[in-house]
Amino acid sequence: MNRDLWLGVIGLVLAGAYYLMAADVPESLLSDAVGPAGLPKIYAYVLAGLSLVLAGRGFAPRLADRPPRAESRGKGPPYVRREIARAAGLLALGAVYLAVVEFVGYVVAVALLIAATVWYQGGVFRPRILLVAACGAALFWLMFVRLLGVQHPPGIWESLL
Amino acid sequence: MADLPLASIVAAAFGGVAWGIFGGALPGISPSITMALLLPLTFGLEATTAIVMLASTYVGAEYGGSIPGILIRTPGTNAAAATVVDGYALKEQGKAGEALGISLYSGFVGGLFGLTVLYLLTEPLSTVALAFTPAAYFALGMLGLSVIASLSRESLVRGLLAGVIGLMISTIGTDPVTGLNRFTFDSPELLSGIPPILVMVGVYAIAELMAQAGETGWQHAPRERARIRFPRPAVWKRIARPQAIGSVIGTFEGMMPGGGGAISSFIAYDQARRFSRHKEEFGKGSVEGIAAPEAANNTVACTALVPLLSLGIPSSNSAAVLLGGFLMHGLVPGPMLLVENGEVVNGLYLGLLAANIAMVVVGYLVMTPCLWLVGQPRPYLTAFIFALVVSGVYAVETSLFHVGVALVFGAVGYAMRYFKVPVLPMVLGVVLGFMVESNYRRALVLSDGDHMTFIQDRVSAGLLLVAVLFVIGSLLRHVRDRRTRHAGR
Repeated sequence: MNRDLWLGVIGLVLAGAYYLMAADVPESLLSDAVGPAGLPKIYAYVLAGLSLVLAGRGFAPRLADRPPRAESRGKGPPYVRREIARAAGLLALGAVYLAVVEFVGYVVAVALLIAATVWYQGGVFRPRILLVAACGAALFWLMFVRLLGVQHPPGIWESLL
Repeated sequence: MADLPLASIVAAAFGGVAWGIFGGALPGISPSITMALLLPLTFGLEATTAIVMLASTYVGAEYGGSIPGILIRTPGTNAAAATVVDGYALKEQGKAGEALGISLYSGFVGGLFGLTVLYLLTEPLSTVALAFTPAAYFALGMLGLSVIASLSRESLVRGLLAGVIGLMISTIGTDPVTGLNRFTFDSPELLSGIPPILVMVGVYAIAELMAQAGETGWQHAPRERARIRFPRPAVWKRIARPQAIGSVIGTFEGMMPGGGGAISSFIAYDQARRFSRHKEEFGKGSVEGIAAPEAANNTVACTALVPLLSLGIPSSNSAAVLLGGFLMHGLVPGPMLLVENGEVVNGLYLGLLAANIAMVVVGYLVMTPCLWLVGQPRPYLTAFIFALVVSGVYAVETSLFHVGVALVFGAVGYAMRYFKVPVLPMVLGVVLGFMVESNYRRALVLSDGDHMTFIQDRVSAGLLLVAVLFVIGSLLRHVRDRRTRHAGR
C-alpha cells in the first residue's frame, strides 16, 4: 500500500472511532441547538470525506494532486526500519523517565535521562557523560525548581534529606 | 513626565525584558506564567515601576518564544509557532545568527509600531473591543482557520486533514456550553482539555529529536557562526513589507479581545507569503517568513493593552495578569485611569519604549551564548533539549500526565512527517478550535438558533467576508499551481 492509501485508511478508522465516541456523549438538559456532540460529528464526517479522497488517490495514483518529485523529496529522514526503531528508542527513554521520576525524584531522573540520551545518541559510555548529566540536572533544578518555583517530584530524596 | 522616576522605569524595563526572554524561551512557560511568577515580587515596588516591569516581561516573553523556535524547533510560546517554519529552516542552512537577527529586529519594529498605536489611538480605538459579540469571536476564529487552505499548498487535502484533526483535539475536555465531559476517557487530567503548547512541543520538538535519533554518521551539529547577525540593508528592504503587514495585523488582532499573538502571527505569515515576490522560499528558510510573524506578535504585546487601559478589559491571559498588577497597586484600568492616574499611563508608555530598546540589547547579549550552545556535539545537545522539553512540559500544570501527552504527540508528529502531512494546520486547529466552537454555540444560544446572527452582526460579517476571500484566493492559487505543475510534466 502507498502512503496515500495508508493515510486514508488511518483517517477513516480515526473518523469512525471519533464519531462513535461523539455519539456516546450524553444529552444534557442544558443542551443548545448544536449540542456537545454536534460539531464533533461534523468534524468526523469531514475527516472521513478527506480520508476517502486520499484513499481514492492511493488506488488511482494518476488522479493524485501530488507535488513534483523534486519537491516531494523533503529533507526529512529516509524512514527505513532501523531509523524508525531508533526514533522509537528515544521515545522509550522518555517513557522510562516518566515511569521512574516519581520514585527517584526529578534531579536523579533528569540526570539519568541526559546520560541515557547521550549514550543512546553517541554510542560510547564515558565517565564524562555522568559528570555532564549531573551538572545538567543541577542546572535544570536551579532553573525550574529554585528560580521558577515549579514543584517537580522530589522522590525518595525528600525522605532522606 | 518630569515627575516620573526615570531611572527606576528604565531599570524595571531591562529587568522585566530579561526575565521575559528567559521565561518565554522555556517551552511550557507562557508569557502569562512568566508575568504571574513576577507579580508577587512587584508588590513592594512603586506602582509605575511595577506596571512597567510586568509589561516589559510581556514584551520580552513574546520575543523570547522565537529563540528556541529558531534554534531547536521548539516554540517557547504559542505565538512563536509560525516563526518555527522558516526560522528553523534557516538554522538548518547554517544561518541561525541571521534568523535570530531578523527575529530581533522585526520584533523591535513591531514593538515600536504597537507602542505608537497604543500612545496615539488608545481612546479612539477602544470602541473596537466593545463591538465584540460571541458571533464576532467566532468569525475571528474562522478568519484564523481560513489560513489553513493557504498553509497547505503542497497538498490541500493533507493540510485540511491536519486542520480537522487539530479541531478534533480541541474538543477534548469539558463542553463549553453544557459542562459535559467529552473524549476524556474518564481521566481527570483531560477535563480541561489538551493545552496547545503540549501539541506544539510534541509535533515540533520531540518529533524533531526522534527524526535526528534516526540519523547516523554525525557527532557535531553544523558549525554556526557564533554571533547574531542583524539584517544587511538589502534584507532590510526585503523584510520591510512583511514587517508592515505583521504590524498592521498585530495592531488589529491585539485590540480584539481573544485575538492574541498566535492568530496574528499565523495570519501575518500567510499574508506575507501572499504579497511576497519570493513565495517559493516560504517554508524553506524565507527571511520574510520570520519577519512577518515576529513583527505581528511583538505589536500585539503593545496593542493588547489598548482595551485594558481604556476599558479595563484584558484581551489575553497576559493582559489579565497585568490587570492584576494594576489592581494590586490600587489602580483601576478603564476610562478614568487616564484622567486620575495619567502619570502611571505615561510612565507605562515610557517603560514600553525602554522595554523595546532593552529587548534589542538583552536579546543581542543572550544570543551569542545561545548560538554557542546549539553548536555543541549533537548527542549532548539532543539530551539537553529532551530534558528541557520534559521539564518545561511538566511546568505547564505540574502534571506528569502532560509529559506523557507531549511524548504521544511526538510520535504523532513523527508519523505526520512520514506521511508528509503538514503540522502547522493541525496546530492552528488546536489553538483556535475551542474559541470557534464555544463562540459559535454561544452566538446561537443568544439568537435562538438563528444562523443569520453571523451576518447581521457587522463585525462578524466583515471578518467572515475576509475569511471567505482568503479561502477563495488560496484555492485559486492552488488550482493555478496544480495546472502549472501538470503543464511542466
